[in-house]
Amino acid sequence: MGGQFDIHYVFDFLPKLLSYLHITLLIVAGSILLGLIIGFIVALPRLYNVPILKRVSQVYVSFFRGTPILIQLFLIYYGLPELLKLIHVDTSRTNVLIFVIVTYALHSGAFISEAIRAAVNAVDRGQIEAAYSVGMSGYQALTRIILPQALSISVPILSNLVIANLKDSSLAFTLGAMEMTGKSQTLGSATRHFVETYIALSLIYFVISTVLERIFFYLEARLLRHERQIIEKERSSKRWIGWRKREIARLEKGVDPH
Amino acid sequence: MIKLTNISKSFGKHEVLHQINLTVEKGEVVVILGPSGSGKTTLLRCINYLEKPNEGQIEIGDFNLDYKQANKKDIHNLRQRSAMVFQHYNLFKHKTVLENVMEGLVVVQKFSTDEAKRKSIEMLEKVGLGTKLDAYPSQLSGGQQQRVGIARALALNPEVILFDEPTSALDPELVGEVLDVIRKIAKEGITMIVVTHEMGFARDVSNHVVFMDEGVIVEEGRPQDIFGAPKEERTKQFLKRITSEWAYSI
Repeated sequence: MGGQFDIHYVFDFLPKLLSYLHITLLIVAGSILLGLIIGFIVALPRLYNVPILKRVSQVYVSFFRGTPILIQLFLIYYGLPELLKLIHVDTSRTNVLIFVIVTYALHSGAFISEAIRAAVNAVDRGQIEAAYSVGMSGYQALTRIILPQALSISVPILSNLVIANLKDSSLAFTLGAMEMTGKSQTLGSATRHFVETYIALSLIYFVISTVLERIFFYLEARLLRHERQIIEKERSSKRWIGWRKREIARLEKGVDPH
Repeated sequence: MIKLTNISKSFGKHEVLHQINLTVEKGEVVVILGPSGSGKTTLLRCINYLEKPNEGQIEIGDFNLDYKQANKKDIHNLRQRSAMVFQHYNLFKHKTVLENVMEGLVVVQKFSTDEAKRKSIEMLEKVGLGTKLDAYPSQLSGGQQQRVGIARALALNPEVILFDEPTSALDPELVGEVLDVIRKIAKEGITMIVVTHEMGFARDVSNHVVFMDEGVIVEEGRPQDIFGAPKEERTKQFLKRITSEWAYSI
């Protein structure tokens, strides 16, 4: 496939791909924000056990969790306009990015609703009773006691979701959306150096994922500062890294550690 | 004065409380005794509206409520007049010790932050935790957590404090510090209703003992009468079993 491998192309492609980074990030940010709203709304009927709506949200969640994201993209992009035509809404001029963001929002909304449900259930019943006991209303108990704790519990799950979403956004090129992966296709076709574009592309995705991972890690540590155990675990892992470094240094010097 | 009239509560077909009548005078320390499943905790929770009785009335001071017709405002008013200390402390885990006590004052009773802070610190000093204001519950021992729970209840300035087995979840060596605090506030004349298995404490501190079994009040009276000369056969059996357990405890 294409010409002789040339590492220079990788460096050449990096800035070109990066100029489309904002589109990728727009897809991720837009779909996660919209997904949070959808997820929260969808989680409510199941948390409060609302008869019919509960069923509807269950069907929604299992559909979006149980079908591939690529198929969902095609369904929304090609299927939704047909449906909207029935109510005389013309979508032929709508930006493809809108369809992409809507699909990813619906997709992550399903996962987020499950994360919220699990996290809210993880806050123990006793604290809710205590909140009622001091005289708080249901709304005050939810916003002041349950949600802050549920949020910190769900950070690791959300972090996974955001990173998965970042990588999944690469599939948007199948609809012709010009984000980073889409750009890599055109770069590859133009220069016939596909492998180099893929190397450049994976470098970018990897660096962004790692940065996001770190951000979420610090966010989690900050939100869970009331959990002494977490801090201790962190300390012990640092201790272990320190021990490993010392051990490697000793081995390199050729001294028997035992 | 607190007056409970004809309180009945069923979970499904199982009747937990059967037409309970109980009067507690202002400043009294009432201890409710009884085997597990006798309904004593449920009765306590009804006073705080954490359980809704199927029927009955309650009167606290000048406030009264019929459980059958209680609306949101009534429930709020009832909860304002009582405060609960839980078996498992139930502190807000994401808030510091000081914030735990301040929460109800600021959010519910609309104190200014400064005022709430001053009052909370005063209460925490009373339970001996003036140096732990910025600690999180997970950094405290069980006994300390329960003392925060007591400070949280005290700060709300309720007409009655309800203690639901406040020492049952504690390591034996931590029971003393919590009982000492309860004893101290009992002397201040705050009305208290305590569900407990600590017989020594019941005998020393209370001035009104209630013995419950199978959802009814079997016997009630002064502690020296109940412990010294119980009239009912079931009370005798219960006390005998508890005291013989003592004899074997190591």
